[in-house]
Amino acid sequence: MAAIQSGLGDGVEEKDIKTEPASDGFGNNNANDGRLVSTSPGSSIPAAGNKPVPGGPPEDQQTLLAVLQFLKKNKLTESVEILRREAGLPEDALDPNGADSSGAGPGGTAGSVDLEGGDASSLLTAAGEDQPDVSVVLSAYSQQGDPALYEVYYSSLKKFIETVLDCHRAELSQVFYPLFVHMYLELVYNNHENEAKAFFEKFSGDQECYYEDDLRVLSGLTKKEHMRGNETLLDFRTSKFVLRISRDSYQLLKRHLQERQNNQIWNIIQEHLYIDIFDGMPRSKSQIDAMSGSLAGEAKREANKAKVYYGLLKEPEIELPLDDEDEEAENEEGKPKKKKPKKDSMGSKSKKQDPNAPSQSRIPLPELKDSDKLDKIMYMKEATKRIRLGPDNLPSICFYSFLNAYQGLTAVDFTDDSSLIAGGFADSTVRVWSVTPKKLRKVKSAADLNLIDKESDDVLERIMDEKTASESKILYGHSGPVYGISFSPDRNYLLSSSEDGTVRLWSLQTFTCLVGYKGHNYPVWDTQFSPHGYYFVSGGHDRVARLWATDHYQPLRMFSGHLADITCTRFHPNSNYLATGSSDRTIRLWDVLNGNCVRIFTGHKGPIHALAFSPNGKFLASGATDGRVLLWDIGHGLMVGELKGHTDTIYSLKFSRDGEILASGSMDNTVRLWDAMKAFDDLETDDFTAATGHIHLQDNSQELLLGTYLTKSTPVIHLHFTRRNLLLAAGAYNP
Amino acid sequence: MSAPKTIPKDAQVMIQILKDMGITEYEPRVINQMLEFTYRYVTTIIEDAKIYATHAKKSTVDADDIKLAIQCRMDQSFTSPPPRDFLLEVARQKNQTPLPLIKPYTGPRLPPDRYCLTAPNYRLKSVQKKVSSSAGRISVPRLSVGAVSSRPTTPTLGTPSVQSVSTKVGAPVSLTGQRFTVQIPPPSQTTTTKPTTPSTPAVSNVLINPSLIGSKNILITTNMVSQNSGGESLKRKHEDDDDYDAL
Repeated sequence: MAAIQSGLGDGVEEKDIKTEPASDGFGNNNANDGRLVSTSPGSSIPAAGNKPVPGGPPEDQQTLLAVLQFLKKNKLTESVEILRREAGLPEDALDPNGADSSGAGPGGTAGSVDLEGGDASSLLTAAGEDQPDVSVVLSAYSQQGDPALYEVYYSSLKKFIETVLDCHRAELSQVFYPLFVHMYLELVYNNHENEAKAFFEKFSGDQECYYEDDLRVLSGLTKKEHMRGNETLLDFRTSKFVLRISRDSYQLLKRHLQERQNNQIWNIIQEHLYIDIFDGMPRSKSQIDAMSGSLAGEAKREANKAKVYYGLLKEPEIELPLDDEDEEAENEEGKPKKKKPKKDSMGSKSKKQDPNAPSQSRIPLPELKDSDKLDKIMYMKEATKRIRLGPDNLPSICFYSFLNAYQGLTAVDFTDDSSLIAGGFADSTVRVWSVTPKKLRKVKSAADLNLIDKESDDVLERIMDEKTASESKILYGHSGPVYGISFSPDRNYLLSSSEDGTVRLWSLQTFTCLVGYKGHNYPVWDTQFSPHGYYFVSGGHDRVARLWATDHYQPLRMFSGHLADITCTRFHPNSNYLATGSSDRTIRLWDVLNGNCVRIFTGHKGPIHALAFSPNGKFLASGATDGRVLLWDIGHGLMVGELKGHTDTIYSLKFSRDGEILASGSMDNTVRLWDAMKAFDDLETDDFTAATGHIHLQDNSQELLLGTYLTKSTPVIHLHFTRRNLLLAAGAYNP
Repeated sequence: MSAPKTIPKDAQVMIQILKDMGITEYEPRVINQMLEFTYRYVTTIIEDAKIYATHAKKSTVDADDIKLAIQCRMDQSFTSPPPRDFLLEVARQKNQTPLPLIKPYTGPRLPPDRYCLTAPNYRLKSVQKKVSSSAGRISVPRLSVGAVSSRPTTPTLGTPSVQSVSTKVGAPVSLTGQRFTVQIPPPSQTTTTKPTTPSTPAVSNVLINPSLIGSKNILITTNMVSQNSGGESLKRKHEDDDDYDAL
């Protein structure tokens, strides 16, 4: 009884929530419907319990009719009689009203009355099912339009759109695909298998070619039971497909649908589609094609409006500690002891804060240890010897082929100073090789460490056990193929993520496994250390990306929002943001501080497998199975370039150290170099573009392509620019 | 590609399924793997369904049993990730807590020990020393050298006396840096001797030439083990017997 009391309370609150978004722009009056169906089953069932209140007010009347209809459907004739008698409903009030209440429920005007009725029917069907949470989601299809008429509705809409003006036609054609899928799924859900199959056969050929994969999945889905286990599909249902249509085109559509009896289509549009209206010129087909392709339509304008601090963190001034002074001084210029802060080229050029950069303390970052400072000094020294690349000065490419891998090589990583390579394999091993002639050694055991002289100068060499020196080391521990590998920036740790659902941290001093981070219970497709160490991100089949710290056994942040597996995770150079690419063909940028999604980039036509941030932090490059590399401006949230050329999945992308060249490696056995400077050079970001997100992509892929380098049947899995701008590539020889 | 009529019907069906799902390029072994999975899955389901049918006291397996079997298997082996709304809720809660501050200079940053894999996964067992003896023979304390890794040559021993169990090991032995257990067999015990490392119930003083020991890690255990006149003792011991028979 207490549950029902609280259920009553819930009912009241829900009413309040519902009336709010009614004032929102068009097409969104059912957001609350989506929200309601996504509340926990616990609250929905007591809420369902309080609905059948007898008597007067019209909303309850609708509810009662819905209840009656439900009981009738389940052949509970006695209950039907009793309820009808008690509620005093007339005999004939049942069928047409019942159809109306359920038909008008989810659709119709933004009235809380109708919404209540619709919700009641959906909730009641939920209460009747044994798996309430899934059914609540699926019961968005509880309305019973006449199945035979679906084809008629769809054809008439097709005819209408074909007769519309050219400029509007491209935009309105966007409606076809989501409408088709939702109508098909409605037929399947309501067990009209034959009609569903006929519908599918007739209209699936009309859809855009880039939806082919989705349509194939749908074609195998003919019964209601099939829908249940398919998480991606369920997500597709609850989330609204976003369309961006100009106001004029939208008015045309609305007028057409409302003047006819095509309420069915109107209902579906209102319930499942979010139409983001903008004022201005309708978009052309090419513009639309560039941005569409993802599983959830495009991104709403508000999704890309949050401020993103894409600037780089200020490099710390390296103060020489007193005892290291002699060493450093004689390394540098042989000058006598000076306590000057090192090197002015580390970024203290601009003393004032970059407005686009996050503050140093926005997220806690580990302090710089002495060894880190030494690393940074080495980095600066190497940077002075760096080759400046450009269209007339292309990098040399050194390719590391993994032989005898028999297609088992699944992940590769290089350390930042290019001294170690690690490979993850399908036999669940991780192997580490030394690239330089220096061999890999393990640290001595504790007993032996006691015996060494701790004060000696070469103590770091003495702690290493010479007996264990070898070219490579094998790390055993995972129980499934290793799909992601990442070295820590200080070269002490190695991360590996695997199909067994764990991410393992290995020590590169002892070459043993230190920690297994359990959280994903499904394959983890990618992992990466943050550029500052300490944090790392992992993403996998469970559609969430998690942020971990090495000293916490549970994740610190969970980034949820993708509709399908997360296939690629990358940190921004300032460690405050991370990008995830997914099988739902979108890329999302997340804020580490609070877990919010700050950018959604749509436009790829296939799952995304490669991401790369430019060294200045402003741009993001992404590669997918469609063979295109797309360039995104993070600050404005726009697509700024498209590089066509590859013919197969792109598995690796890397910017050169100063951001002049973008290298891409693909399954088509080539490495291609693109002119990144030119691609980002002439960006027209006028107000209109920034406001509406419409881009005019130049078709200049050929000019930007600087070189294509073929390998001998070796797909390129990883690319890495050394500190001096030599390009290293890795892949497994696949004869 | 071999002629279709030589491929079994099941494989033909599988090829057709792959074609329907749009998979056009695959290695030939994929068909075998798919078929194996199919057989295993279908067999498991049907077996489960049979169990459910007998439980419901039905004579034949019908569609409901199969449906139940499939449902139970799905929940067990082929689970799918949690639904999106649940994940959104969990993520919202998790993301509310601020990022923890990082304590400086704390060495390697790892979780508490019980969440790490750094603990030893072995335990040392205490060494068992067997009591070895022989039947009835009053014997001279023997010095038999049993190496852990290999058998050394027979050491020649000095002349021990019965009263003082002291032996002088004078002769050179080709000790090669292995670990030895030097065992001096005691007189009159009846337990049997195991050829390899016997246990030491009692330790007696042994005077051994220090030059023999050096850095060669000789573990001296003296052992009141009597010689076994039977065949269980080391061959060496027989030789010893011959040598020191007179005593």
